Amino acid sequence: MSWENFRFALFEKAPEALFEHSMIVVITITIAILISVPLGVLLTRPKYKGLGLVTLNVLNVLQAIPGLAIIALALPILGLGMKPAVVALLFQSLLPIVRNTIAGLIGVSPDVKEAACGMGMSQRRILLEVEIPLAMPIILSGIRTATVYVVSIGTLAALIGAGGLGNLIMGGLALFRPEYLLVGAGLGAIMAITLERSLSYLERRITPPGMRVS
Amino acid sequence: MTLKDFLNFLNKNTETIIEYTGNHFTLVLSAVIISLVIWVPVGLLLTKSDKWAARVLGLANTIFCIPSLSMFAILVTIPAFGLGRKSALFALILYAMMPLIRSVYDGAKNVDRSVIEAARGMGMSTARILREILVPLGMPIIFAGFRVTVVMTTGIAAIATYIGERNLGRFISEGLIRSNTPMMVTGALIISVIAIGLDTILGLIEKSIVPKGLRINR
Repeated sequence: MSWENFRFALFEKAPEALFEHSMIVVITITIAILISVPLGVLLTRPKYKGLGLVTLNVLNVLQAIPGLAIIALALPILGLGMKPAVVALLFQSLLPIVRNTIAGLIGVSPDVKEAACGMGMSQRRILLEVEIPLAMPIILSGIRTATVYVVSIGTLAALIGAGGLGNLIMGGLALFRPEYLLVGAGLGAIMAITLERSLSYLERRITPPGMRVS
Repeated sequence: MTLKDFLNFLNKNTETIIEYTGNHFTLVLSAVIISLVIWVPVGLLLTKSDKWAARVLGLANTIFCIPSLSMFAILVTIPAFGLGRKSALFALILYAMMPLIRSVYDGAKNVDRSVIEAARGMGMSTARILREILVPLGMPIIFAGFRVTVVMTTGIAAIATYIGERNLGRFISEGLIRSNTPMMVTGALIISVIAIGLDTILGLIEKSIVPKGLRINR
């Protein structure tokens, strides 16, 4: 261990890697939310209820595929770079969000929905003003699970040239420089833990006091 | 890459595939067994104290967040662990902490209070209540945690190839370095099939062990 190497890793290499990593996470999660939440909403509508179980089963199988394998399978099909990595990560971040959206929407008490209907709200308004706000904490918890997952598997995305903190770790392992390992791995861990903490804080904040489980 | 390349690779490397699969399984198996021995009792103990439960579950949650590659990398820098199986095993056990403790704790906590009280009223000792009431009734949730642990461990074990484990992940890491697509895809497919297979089998067992009265009708 040398201070020189450590400083080089932390100040020269880390900022760029951290930026790339954040980009991967932000892009993946944004797309995942944009796909999964509407999908979850659609699958709880009476018209498409039959599809729900099938979709969940397919996503369940996708979820069981190990992260390293999905990254390896993305390479021959999609090539090198950040885009294939995002697509690969996307596949596995869908399930937690879809599942929680469905669970959250189903969990909304029918009485509340009926009351809203009796007040003359349209289906659309019931969805936007009653169901989604009430299901929000559960949906957010799915987003949190997906985010932590993407940060974690995102380190493997370096293998297919997407950059990120995985670059530092892989470099450190190849050259056996513990300083690189510590900086890359430490920042990855800090990033995952911080995101988890802030999202669960947000989750608690938006839960109405009456719904909190002690 | 065609199907022919793939079959060719399977044919030529049967021995290596068997060796790596064996290594993979011994690592997963020992990690799961040690985790069960350590974390199930801890989970049961935690039902005694809410304060400690919150602390330990928080810690387990935090550990679970750490990216697996980071965890391996950090352990490697600790001289007592270094490259190899010791680090891999230790990391896998740490990851198993969250799902196992959580499910055992939730499983035991979910048991109806009145059932426990009835048992106590019948004169059962704490040990017997644990053995004959808490564990059997909590089994569905505990088993769900076990399933998650096994599937997750299988996946993370593949990443241990980067710290010197010679298992199925090796095909992927070597394949990437040599840009040998058949090798990489074979590795990825074998691991995926094993993980999905384990998940499916354990899922079926999970359904069958739930007592009839506890089944949720969907």
